[in-house]
Amino acid sequence: MGHTIAEKILARVSGRESVKAGDEVMAKPDYVIAYDFPGYTDVYFEQMKTEFGIDRVAEPDRFAIFIDHMVPAASPKEEELHIGTRAWCAENGVALYERRGIGHQVATEVGYAVPGAFVVHFDGHVSQMGTFGTLAMGIRRNLLEAFVRERVSLKVPQTVRVNLEGTLPKGVMARDVFHHLVRIMGPASCRFQVLEIGGSGLAGISTEGLQVITGLAMFTGALTAIVNPEGERLAYALARAKKTLVPVSSDPDADYSKVWTIDVSALEPVVVVPPTPAGTRDLSEFVGLEVQAGYLGSCASGRLEDLRIAAEVLKGRTVKPGFQLNVVPTSQEIMAAAGREGLLSIFAEAGAFVSSPSCDYCFGRIATMTAGQRAVSTGTLNVRGRMGHPDSEIYLCNAATVAASAIEGMIADPRKYL
Amino acid sequence: MALRNLRGRVAFVFTEVDFDVDQIVGVKNIKITDIEELAAAAMRAYDPDFRASVRPGDILVGAGNFGYGHPHYPPMRAMRHLGIAGVVAESFSPGYWRGEISMGFPQASCPGILGLVERWDEIEVDWDAAEVRNLTRGRSLPFEPLALADREMLDAGGLLPYLKRPVAGH
Repeated sequence: MGHTIAEKILARVSGRESVKAGDEVMAKPDYVIAYDFPGYTDVYFEQMKTEFGIDRVAEPDRFAIFIDHMVPAASPKEEELHIGTRAWCAENGVALYERRGIGHQVATEVGYAVPGAFVVHFDGHVSQMGTFGTLAMGIRRNLLEAFVRERVSLKVPQTVRVNLEGTLPKGVMARDVFHHLVRIMGPASCRFQVLEIGGSGLAGISTEGLQVITGLAMFTGALTAIVNPEGERLAYALARAKKTLVPVSSDPDADYSKVWTIDVSALEPVVVVPPTPAGTRDLSEFVGLEVQAGYLGSCASGRLEDLRIAAEVLKGRTVKPGFQLNVVPTSQEIMAAAGREGLLSIFAEAGAFVSSPSCDYCFGRIATMTAGQRAVSTGTLNVRGRMGHPDSEIYLCNAATVAASAIEGMIADPRKYL
Repeated sequence: MALRNLRGRVAFVFTEVDFDVDQIVGVKNIKITDIEELAAAAMRAYDPDFRASVRPGDILVGAGNFGYGHPHYPPMRAMRHLGIAGVVAESFSPGYWRGEISMGFPQASCPGILGLVERWDEIEVDWDAAEVRNLTRGRSLPFEPLALADREMLDAGGLLPYLKRPVAGH
């Protein structure tokens, strides 16, 4: 029996010849990544010193810190957190990426998505690095283990394989594919396992699209998601990689707990209705529902293909008066490219509010909704209170649907504008 | 210190699958940090008398994929403050599981638990036998044994004391 890509990566970082699902190992992460956030990084920095007597991390090149939340700061307290983060990075010789965009995306742009690497973060959306054959896991507060020890304790997970087939119809995006997976496989289908995406349908899904699918993997219960590194994705990652590893892939006879084959060629756009990321429904059921706000951005969506399709919908049209459309490219690199393509001017002319990259729209720190308001969003999550008042609502959908709904002030099918 | 068996009454049965634990205190209360205030908010939507009827050592029971969504720490902080000693569920969502184990809060994944117990039954969670026993009704079910690291973390009382121990051999 062969091995999955996850098993191969975990074997290497545990110093073993091979491991199988169920083995308990001590794994040395190639990279330890975090964004500064109260209760997480400030606590780690403090506890390293006071509880463990560690003044500096032993291998600073293995660490990377991002400032992407509370950007820009809206209170002295927030800025103080950032000052503490900057000081810790300087003292430790650790790389700091500030105001470059949402960390999960920037980490890939600057080369931490090394094919074959093992990465830990406290935030599970780091799983999107799996697009490049990197095994990247969010381990919540246990990330402290990676700050104070060389290795983290881990049970080698089983893998669920999903083979995608067919080509997506126009106006149906990777976002729809992911939510469709949750709908038919179930929100517990990959619990404590790795979601491995493959199949002939990958040819029709962009690298950015795979970042969407892998980045949202936690809502299937998965610990992370991964794709065998090949073609354009592999070339992208190798060109930027911070170090050289031999990329690995799953063996054809790898042992999967389950294999799904899912045809995407007949998919329709979907919405995920509040208050749970398991609430996938057909968009058509909700067309006409009044919405007051729209968010196009986040670590899941907000990349060039999202911006391009939204611009296609909005070009020469305007956002309905009173509707608040926030367009937030995921990173500065993406924003600059969108500017060169003329996309940002289309958004501005349509009446959208175009913001520099920040995580803050996704969790209601800014563009905060009040009771009774409703948003269409490409953010990561639609639980109650996520974007403001507990009695506001979030309908997750693809970028084209956000744009079309902004024109109409109600949930709209984007395909008539494409 | 060996991880002690849990023994207590089933203080509540959450029958909803994919249960979002934030509902225990209510999303509008999720940012409360004062433990008394949090505990006062807990379970109001489910049983206004919960606080008066719960006893130290009582246990919560949940359905499948317990803790799904975007779980925060305050709900179970409140539950611990009220004396709840742990959670037994049909299965758990990984983010919730990892978060609560790191708090040193025992969790046991026991397929079939909803059929084994009713509210206020006296149950025991035996870690060595990996078995949940319904002492009231005289029946039991196996649960999924804890990973070594999870067991060590519970044994130590949470992430911080666990990390202060010498590195365990694997």
